[in-house]
Parts: sequence; C-alpha cells; structure tokens
Amino acid sequence: MKAESRSVLVIGAGISGISSALELASAGFGVHLLERDAVIGGHAASFPCKATNICAECSACVVSDKLREAVQHPRIRLLTGSTLKEFRGEPGDFRVRIAQEPRYVDGERCIACGLCTDICPTDPKAICLPQADAVPLIHVLDEKLCLRSKGKECELCRDICPTKAIEFNRKRREEELSVGAVVVATGFEVFDAKKKGSLGYGRYPGVLTGLDLEHLLRREGVLRFPGGDKEPARIAFIQCVGSRDEGHPYCSHVCCKYAMKLAALIRHRSPDTLVTIFYIDLQTAGKGFARFFDEYKSDIRFVRGVPVEIMQAASGELEVKFEDISQGRVRRDTFDLVVLSVGISPRTDSWDLARILGLDMADDGFFDTAPSIGSNDTSVSGIFLAGTCQGPKDIPDSVAHGAAAASRVMELLGVPVQAGG
Amino acid sequence: MEARIGVLICDCGQGMQNIDFGALARQAADLPGVTSVNLSSDLCLDEGTKKMVSLIKDENLDRVVIAACSPDMKEHIFRDMLEKAGLNGNLLSMANIREQCSWAHDGEVTDKAADLLRMAIGRVRLLRPVEHREFPVSTEVLVVGGGFSAISTALRLSGVGLRTTVLESEPVLGEGAGEKEDLHGLDRGSMIAAAERDGNIDILTCARIASVEGAPGDFTVTMRTDGTETARKFGAIVLATGFRTELTPGPDALIDARELCSAGVVSQEQLLGMLSNLGLEARPAIVGFLLDLADENSRFTTLATLNNALAVKSRWGSEVYVFCKDVKVDSEGTERLYRETRECGVVFLKCDSAPEVTVDNGKVRVEARDVFLGDDAAITCDLLVAEELPFPVQETEVLGSMFGVRLDSGGFYQDENVHLYPVDSERKGVFFVGGCRGNWDIVRVLTDVSSVVTSVCGLLCPGSIQVDVEKVRVDPQKCVACLTCIRVCPHSAIQLVRVDSGRDAAVISDLACDACGVCAAICPAKAIEFEGYRDDEILAQIEAVG
Repeated sequence: MKAESRSVLVIGAGISGISSALELASAGFGVHLLERDAVIGGHAASFPCKATNICAECSACVVSDKLREAVQHPRIRLLTGSTLKEFRGEPGDFRVRIAQEPRYVDGERCIACGLCTDICPTDPKAICLPQADAVPLIHVLDEKLCLRSKGKECELCRDICPTKAIEFNRKRREEELSVGAVVVATGFEVFDAKKKGSLGYGRYPGVLTGLDLEHLLRREGVLRFPGGDKEPARIAFIQCVGSRDEGHPYCSHVCCKYAMKLAALIRHRSPDTLVTIFYIDLQTAGKGFARFFDEYKSDIRFVRGVPVEIMQAASGELEVKFEDISQGRVRRDTFDLVVLSVGISPRTDSWDLARILGLDMADDGFFDTAPSIGSNDTSVSGIFLAGTCQGPKDIPDSVAHGAAAASRVMELLGVPVQAGG
Repeated sequence: MEARIGVLICDCGQGMQNIDFGALARQAADLPGVTSVNLSSDLCLDEGTKKMVSLIKDENLDRVVIAACSPDMKEHIFRDMLEKAGLNGNLLSMANIREQCSWAHDGEVTDKAADLLRMAIGRVRLLRPVEHREFPVSTEVLVVGGGFSAISTALRLSGVGLRTTVLESEPVLGEGAGEKEDLHGLDRGSMIAAAERDGNIDILTCARIASVEGAPGDFTVTMRTDGTETARKFGAIVLATGFRTELTPGPDALIDARELCSAGVVSQEQLLGMLSNLGLEARPAIVGFLLDLADENSRFTTLATLNNALAVKSRWGSEVYVFCKDVKVDSEGTERLYRETRECGVVFLKCDSAPEVTVDNGKVRVEARDVFLGDDAAITCDLLVAEELPFPVQETEVLGSMFGVRLDSGGFYQDENVHLYPVDSERKGVFFVGGCRGNWDIVRVLTDVSSVVTSVCGLLCPGSIQVDVEKVRVDPQKCVACLTCIRVCPHSAIQLVRVDSGRDAAVISDLACDACGVCAAICPAKAIEFEGYRDDEILAQIEAVG
C-alpha cells in the first residue's frame, strides 16, 4: 500500500477533529491536523467548569486532556495557522495544498518561558501566548502590533529568547500533501445576537450572550458582571436566540442545558438571585441530565414563550416584553441582567471550503451528509464530516461523531489486521 | 549497591529569575547518592536531550531527577530520553520548579525549589523499573444482541476484516423493541439477510452467555446453545442488547388498564399494526397521543410519536392531538419533523400538569389544561396512543454482573466516560452500543455503531497490546484473600488465584488493569503496591522535607 494512503488530513482541531485525529493516529495512520487558529481546542476549550456542589457534567475539564494527548502524539502533525487551498485526486490518493501563516516563533524551540512577552515594549504585547492555557503552549508574534511592522528596528524579543526560537524572516509557506482521506471538522459559529436588534445586544451593557458569560467565567473564575460592583439580583435567560426560527430550522442541542447549568451556578454562588428562563420547549433529555434538572428545577422560574423585545430604562434596568401565554396578553418584567442563549450556526466560510472540496451544503447551511442522517459521509467519496460542521452537537456527541468519522476512514483505506494469538 | 543519581536542573532559559540555581545545584550535590548535578537551559530541546543521553551513559547513571517545568509539558520526552540511554523510563522523578514554584510566587523561592528537588531525589532512590510487554490478541469479536444496533455493528466490523459472532437469545434476529420504527429508509430485512450471507459473520440464535473470563484481547466466553456449552476466545465484546418499552401509567386514570384497552388505548407498536392492517372504513376519526408527561428523557418516544402522528394524518386523515409538556427536539432532524407534523394539521396541546384520562361511554376522554388556551381542553378519542418509555431489557442486569460492568440509575449500562470514550465500558475490551446504554435516538445509535468500530479496530487490528508489567502488583505473602480489592476494582482486573504455598491470593491482570490505584489505596493488609505511588516512595518524599 502506498504511504500516502496511510495518512489523513483532518481540517479543524476542535474537539471532534481531535477525537478523529487521535483515533486514526492510534490505529496507525499519520494525521495532518490543520488548524486555522494559533491554538487548538476550538469552542470546547473556551468553556468554564460549571460545577456547583455537584458536577454539572459540562465536559469542560475533560477537553484539555484530549488536547494534550493530540499535541504529544507522535503520529499527529499539528499545523496551526493553516488553511486548505487546493484539493484534487481520488479517494486513497488525494493531493492537497495548504498554506501556513508565519507564527515567527519556532514551535519546536519555544519553551514558553515568557521572557519575550516581558520585554516586548508594545501595548498590547505583540508577542505573547495566545491565551494563558493555550495548547500548544507556544508564543505567537502578531505582526500588526510589532514595532517592526512600523519600520522600527526592534529586536528585543529575539535577543532575549534563550532558545533562539524567534525568527523575524519567516514567510507564509505553502506545502503539498498526499493523503488517503479527509475529515472535515471545521465546527460552528456562535449565532451573532446583534442580528436580533430588538433584543439590544451590543447596545445595552446588561445584555450578554451565554457565550459571553461562559468566557467571563473562564477568564475571571468568578461571576463579575458588566456595570461594576452591584450584583444583579434578577437575571433572565432567553432561549432559542438563533435557533428554531425562520432562518434556523433546527434546535441547537446545547442551549437549554448550558442555560440551566449557568443558572444553577449563579444561584449556587448568590442564592438570593432570582433567575427566570424564557423557553419554547425545555430540552432536558439526555443521560445524566435528569438528575441535574431535578436538583435545580425548583430554584428557577420557567416561563413559556420567548420575548422579542428588550428596552433599557433610564435606571439601567432592562424591561423585557413577553407574551403571557395563558392570559393571552403582553406583560413586562424588569431584570438587571439578560442572557441570550445563542445557538449554534453554520460557519459562514463553509462555502469556501465546500467549493474547494466539492461538498454539498444542506439548506440550513451545514455540510450535507449522504445518504441519510446520522452519517459521516459526504457526496465526495473519501471526505467525511465530524462534529458541528454537520449540525448542532454537544461535546460528548461531537467526540462520538469524531470517533465515528475515523471508522469511515478505516473502512475506506483499510486497517491491516495483524494475525493475533 | 549505592544508587547513582543524576540531577538535571533546567532554568528554562532564565525564565525563573527568582531561583538561585547555583545554590540549588550545590544543595543537591550534597545529598547521598547524587553522582552528578548539571545545569541546563534547554533540557527539552533536541540539543538538551542529546546531551542528557550521553551524560547518562558517560556517568553510568542509574536514576535521573529533573527539576524543570510541569511534568504535563515534557515528561513524555524525558522518559523517552531515559529509554534511549538504556535506562528504564520509570526511573525518573520530576520536580516542578516552574509552574508550581517560580511562577506561582513573587520573590525569592530557592528554598521551596530545593524542597521540591529533595523530595524528588528522596523518591527516585526507591523507584523500580516497570517493564513493557506485548500481548498478542485474538481478532475475533463477539456482539451480544440481535437487533438493529447488533446487526449493523457486525456488518461494519466484518467490513474492516474482523471475524464477528452475533449471539442472540431469541430464535430470530430483529424482533426487539423499537425494531418496527421507521429508520429513515434503513431496511432492516436486507441488513439481516446481508449478515446471514456474510462469511465473516457467525450468527448464533437461542444462545446465552454462561460465563466470561479474561482480559482485552483475550476473553474466554462460555456460550450455551441447545443445552450444550462451548467456550470460545474473543478479543473484544460488544454489548448491543437493546431495550424494551413499557406503557407508562403517567396519568392516574390509566390504572384500570383493561377498561382502557377496550376503550382504545394502544401502544405505538399496536398503532403501527393498525396502520398497516386496518381498512379505511374502520379508521378512527380522532387519535390522541400522550408524550413527555411521565419522563423528561423522551427523545426516543418523541421521534416515534412524531413519525406515527404523521402517518396517522396521511393514511387515515384523522384529527390528531398530541398532549405533551415539551417536545424534545434536540436530536438531528427532529425540529424539521416537528414542523412538518404541525404543518400537516397535527395539534399539539402543551400542558404543564398531566392530563386526566377517563373512559366515557366506552370511549377514552383526555382532559388537560392547555397553557396556550389558558383553558381546559377535553378531547374524546377513538384511539389514544399511550406514552411509551424505554427500559433496559431483563438480561441487562445479569449480563452486567457477569461482565462486571456497572448499571446507571435507570438500569442501563453505565459508560466509562461519555465525554472522552463514548462507547467504552469500565472493563477494557467490553463496549456498549445503542439502546442498552440509555434512551437513544436513531442518530445516536448510528454514531455509536461507528464509534465502536473505531474503538474495536484500535484495540485489535495491531494484533497485540502493549502493557506495563506489574505496575500494580499484589504481594502474595501479605495478601489475606479478603476480596476487598476484587470488589472495588472498577475494571474487573483482579482475580483470586491459588498460589505456590497452597493459599489463595489476589492477582492483577496487567492487560485489564487501568492503573487507577483504587485497590492499592483500600487494601487493608497493605499487600498491593502501585509503583510510583508506593507508601515508602511517598514517605521518602515527606521525610525529605520533614
């Protein structure tokens, strides 16, 4: 068998791409793991632990294990800052051209000592870790912030680097790879809440998205809300923002659970907070969630129906206008903080990748599967889908879908079965 | 013989300026057994590791201590380095003087770094080598069950060249619960026929498992068919035993089931039978469904209800009312199906409390407070399809204890870690697929089947499994055969075996052991040693700073 048919290109190093890559590498395939970003892990790596006095089974803690395993695996070659440019060939013998943007820091040599960041004179720092817990833990130089891009002759970071890892003359490079199969795991975009103008996101500081709240928690470790010292006493979650509406004929699978887990966490830390969740249908199915829901449902006020308008009063309070369904009339309630439970949207740049790979798009904007639902197969033989680029999934479902994609690659390229005992 | 310990201190390219490395090195050099102390700035880089390999050889070191960054970062590289130099990889102890010391504190921290280093040196003296060994595996797979998930798993495994045996307790395949549901065009009949034709697949019906022994790659399963027992070897076992459904009483009035049956309360499966057999003249004019009232976890029932409500509407043209709390649409394609159902004219009545079901003039009457109307709605149905929930099949519990795998609170198989290893059980080499894991919808069953193919291939296709030899071991002299370890081991890795002295003692299978350490922690006779975390190794660290 030709060597190239034993290697696989995985596009996207989020949790499902990593799951695919690890399974394939363990089965003996060489994996080129392509990531557009400087770090791997995608959305899954950006969520905080949501445990109260019981584990919320939110998966946040288990993601980092997988990331480290992927970075350390000898058969996985990680290409950060990289995108796919060209694609041709047959299943088992594809040629792909990839482009890698320069990081200006040699990943093999950087030891993340932080001396370069300390000495960098710009503000914000031009050279730094992309985030404190970045995987891989390698610094990156932002050429737009660097004084050298402004014509100055600064070489402070290069001079102080103890391992000579910084190379200013790195260029964007292209590379052609031969691979037997391709796994597309490009993930999703979080719905842009500004598109729902009447909800005031981006205009009222007290309106956040669920993701904003997650990132705040991950970064700060504590709940610190915009608007300073005053803890919000009344918080509303609005479900299905960017899901189950005209443009999004699907449920995002994750929002009810994250909203309830965040609500439980808020109540756990500040028991006097009143939390209201506005919803269409509560998605409480799933193994393990029933126990969590039973524990916390009496702490939360649930209101059927999703508000479509939020106004900010002069006092800064947020007035939420909603339909009291059983009374058949419009009501207003005031809150200090409103969290929009934004959903999973298809990536807008999926079209570019679809053009390069010749993939079909479903009418909801996700990549289309062939022949039926629940599959990893695409209309192009040898290209498989993993994770949320195919449709909304939570972390466990994304991991499982990634592992499932690996099985399709194994069936296509064959796994030599060694005679055993 | 006195140990020859090499201490390697890395200052991470001056990334730890609050440590006096000269002083640290001098303190280390004075400790007993320390043969050499070396300072470095680039231990984890190629040139650093090359220097270390030659140092270990030149100085004839037999143990290594590295004071540097967190073991999370580079320990795997350092272990490889030891192996390259001809030392066992376990003879390494690390002191994390970067993340856990220098970076964690402001100001001078040389004393703490020295403490950490002394602890590592104290421990390294006692470390023992852990050898690796390759065990050959059987590449045959046993699939237990005869429904959709079992057959599709067998077909897929056969597709990658693994011989598969399907073991079904019933006389025919594909007769379990949920096997009549519409599967988005998947044809079960032709799948079963394909499995029967497949030379790589053995099908055993009316067969049961009598006992299971062994470890991944090397299970011995005794099977009983027609009163005869045969033992066979398998490398991996997939449990795909499915589920059964029960009509849930939910509404209190469903108590008098017999009266209700005559009044037209049916199950989803009975409804499917009526849909294909009932003449148009006998079709019911009004059909009701109960959904999501008895249990939150209703993905399976939701799909069945939506599909069947649609079928009733299109074939019979009946009025259709679905009484439900919520519609669970968080599985692929369900929101679309829900929309289609409503567009066809199926009416969903959302009620926060369970509806009252009574029999009135031989007909079943459902009365509920509809939250949208804000009023009571009473519908007299010609046919009422009761809410149906999946439960584990009876043999789940028996098989669970036979295989030594736990059940969850609902009595389904408990996965090892749903987040990381979707289809693995706690017992290595035993996997779960589909409805036997819980209330699964068809998309998740299909994903499970693919995931298990991946996992089984990863385990068996290389032909052998590499394991650590006796990383966790029982001292047969100290073991009092109290069975505590056997009871607590989550991986069924421990067995009682007759040892030389004619006594029984616990023995740990290296293949099955996951090195979790539970047995070592609990053993009342302190007979179990977990290499790297032995009592004397931990005490030596404490004494080093005591």
